[in-house]
Amino acid sequence: MAIFLKAYKGYEGSLSPSFNRTLVIFRYALADAMKTRFFTAFFVLSLLLPLGLTCFLYFYHNIEMLSQLHLSQREMPVIDGSFFAIFVQQPQNALLFFMTLVLGPTMISPDLRNNAMPLYLSRPITASTYILGKGLVLLTLGSMMSWLPTILLFFVQSYLAGDGWMSEHWYIPFASMITCLLWIISLSLVAFTVSAFVKWKALARGMFFGVLFLSSLFGQVIERIFGGIAGNLVDINSGLKVLSSGFYRTTSELLGSIPDMETSHAVMQFIAIGIIALFILVHRIKSFQRVS
Amino acid sequence: MSVEIAHKELDNKKQSNEAVGSTEPAVSIVSSDSKDPPVIELDNLCVSYDRPILQGLKAQMRGRCIGLLGPNGAGKTTLLNTLLGFNRPTSGQVRLFGQKLASNNQQIRSHLGYMPERDAFIADMTGIRFVRMMAELSGLSSKEALERAHEVFFYVGLGEARYRNVDSYSLGMKQLAKLAQAIVHGPRLLFLDEPTNGLDPPARSRMLQLIREIRDSGDTHIVIASHLLPDIESCCDEVLVLKEGRIAKYCNLEEERRSNKQFLLLQIRGDEGAFVQGLRHLGCEVAIPNRRRIKVIIPEGVEIKQLYSLAEQHSVQIRSLDYKRDTLEDIFLRAMDEESVSIENQT
Repeated sequence: MAIFLKAYKGYEGSLSPSFNRTLVIFRYALADAMKTRFFTAFFVLSLLLPLGLTCFLYFYHNIEMLSQLHLSQREMPVIDGSFFAIFVQQPQNALLFFMTLVLGPTMISPDLRNNAMPLYLSRPITASTYILGKGLVLLTLGSMMSWLPTILLFFVQSYLAGDGWMSEHWYIPFASMITCLLWIISLSLVAFTVSAFVKWKALARGMFFGVLFLSSLFGQVIERIFGGIAGNLVDINSGLKVLSSGFYRTTSELLGSIPDMETSHAVMQFIAIGIIALFILVHRIKSFQRVS
Repeated sequence: MSVEIAHKELDNKKQSNEAVGSTEPAVSIVSSDSKDPPVIELDNLCVSYDRPILQGLKAQMRGRCIGLLGPNGAGKTTLLNTLLGFNRPTSGQVRLFGQKLASNNQQIRSHLGYMPERDAFIADMTGIRFVRMMAELSGLSSKEALERAHEVFFYVGLGEARYRNVDSYSLGMKQLAKLAQAIVHGPRLLFLDEPTNGLDPPARSRMLQLIREIRDSGDTHIVIASHLLPDIESCCDEVLVLKEGRIAKYCNLEEERRSNKQFLLLQIRGDEGAFVQGLRHLGCEVAIPNRRRIKVIIPEGVEIKQLYSLAEQHSVQIRSLDYKRDTLEDIFLRAMDEESVSIENQT
């Protein structure tokens, strides 16, 4: 069928494999996310954090320069798990939260508002494929903002420090990767689930913020009344502190008061939040097939 | 296309009811020329939400363009959604091109196109990007998808507007964009839900022309759900009439019209009173809608030449004699009446 002929003709070419459909959704959603100047600017600025920290590590190990500035390594924080948990992981957690707040609700709400679900789901993709494609955007961007730069920082520090620093602090890249992935996935799924119930982006953002804030508040109330770890299990912020503390092997006061909870419980907390959100989300997306 | 449909509604109703042990009236229509698998095969299909919506549908559809008719709430959209795999049947099954929909859902969907009734598009996208994405989701490579998206936009007549945001399209343009996304991947089976909804007469005519062209291309079978009988009549070769979740009628339109040859429209000149009297003596039913034009239903055994003899006797000229062809409206209304009588008899 050529443009000038203006006649309909069927398609007889080959079809791409089914996993490719996820990548199509991912590719288009990623392009849409990067289309806004605000998010692009935010994404570039977020990369200034690892850049700044790389410069800091360079100065930290440059004795000559430190002496010119009348500084010594003793007056500066020790580069270990605590340093990575406080100066790398904590700001990254905030950046990831902001990224999810900005992007999460824009992923699904517009499709629901414009009745696009029947268009997607009448093609050879499932609700899970759709969610996976959209989620991969947040996972990719989030990874590029968080654990991937951390691993880079880790190698820079290992190179500059030498003397077995790497073998002594091998757990740092794993800590960063696991903490960031759990945080990104659970936040994304909560954001998607909230936005699947609200058609307007701004309202979805407000609800996402509200759900996390209220769950945190609810968790603290439960903890005050009943004690134990029940309250902490509801409060996702407590779980995040426990993860950072456990994986980075630190109890630094700069992390704030760390709840008395096992790291494994915190991991289970994040997995449970993710599963519940995913369960609701898949059923919500499927229900759009019925009403179309 | 030679499709022969055995219309044995009443007998089949009894047979199918006996077979499934059901008291629900069901209609079984079997196409006699069944070398190729039917395009759509409904095998005792039942769909329920909180109440039964579709009940015991049995049909084998082989038409190039099938119209789905029925009053509001008859189950047209539910049937369409079930054929698309959106609804899971409560019992029974659906086969498309001989493949079970339940077990080959993803594979079959690669060959389906769907144009929903309501506005449906992806926000903040140009027309071309929207259609290209839909083509890629159907399995076309990125390059092929772009090429066909351009072609299909020109084909539906939106070539000049393809770089505009879909949000800014008028209602008619959105309908055409929806059609473009439904056909961009060259589906083997195309579902159109109320394709002319909200269109002005020229746009409606254009849409129907496109549907007919797609039908005549021979590459695609089409199912149109609509409550606009003229739309169905101008495009479809077969119709499935639903009423209260059951099949009230499934027929080939041409066959159906041909089967009703006893209805004549005569234009006469002369003493019409005596001629009409004579016709009634022959046992004909006669109606005179206006002067010199009379409608005659001739009974079995009476031949046309007897009418000419009668005209000669009364010195009446028969200026024209036409077999009256049933319109789709006649077929539809008759199906509704027959179904009502059938249901009343059952109860």
